Amino acid sequence: MVSLPFWNPSVCIIAFVILVAIIYLFRSRGQKKYKKGTAQTDIFLSGEKPPAVEQRHIRSHNIYWGFFQTLKRYYDPTVRAHTGIINDYILWFIALAALTALILLIASLI
Amino acid sequence: MSLNSFKRALWVFHLNTGSCNGCDIEILAALTPRYDVERFGIMLVGTPRHADVLLVTGPVARQMAPRLKQVYEQTPDPKMVIVVGNCGLEGGVFYESYNLVGPVDQHIPVDIYVPGCPPRPEAIIEAVAKAWVKLEKAAAK
Repeated sequence: MVSLPFWNPSVCIIAFVILVAIIYLFRSRGQKKYKKGTAQTDIFLSGEKPPAVEQRHIRSHNIYWGFFQTLKRYYDPTVRAHTGIINDYILWFIALAALTALILLIASLI
Repeated sequence: MSLNSFKRALWVFHLNTGSCNGCDIEILAALTPRYDVERFGIMLVGTPRHADVLLVTGPVARQMAPRLKQVYEQTPDPKMVIVVGNCGLEGGVFYESYNLVGPVDQHIPVDIYVPGCPPRPEAIIEAVAKAWVKLEKAAAK
């Protein structure tokens, strides 16, 4: 009989310790003479002054770019339906309520 | 000139401040199998933040002056600056051009000059080796 793998917290702790040791090893081999707060700790952009942090970070909505791009055919009509006019939304509500009532009526008759 | 130790490799960043590319081709030649400086541990790197030595070519075009300073400031200490070619020394064939603000040593401190138009790869390699000795002496202090 094949024994199934099981979740053991000590495995995670050992893996964490090993990872921390590897990271520490890499960091200890690095350049220690950087002057903090100077250009030496700035990112290198081919000699350009790096822009402010807010401007160079990817905004969170960009993460979903591929998602929206793939589902564009679905999203475009739904976005068009969201006109921002309350009358339209009430019409949607009444239409969907009528459709639901119709479905329930038919279901009760069957 | 002698090197006491090869404790670590020497990483070099190459910055072109408006060169005609003659000196840059000679720097490239130093990396080819004929000269092969990487066998000594001398390696070109893609960012000044990893570099020990700056190899600067070109007469410093106006647009490049702030970039030159930024790259110099981004290089960790101790660092050496080598100017390769006549243009970086005194303007070379571009001397008195309207859009030059060089030479290099008017903007950043220079440790070693390599004259020539362009200098031979042997001269560039010797300059880098001299920079290595200076760095070792600076580190020993």
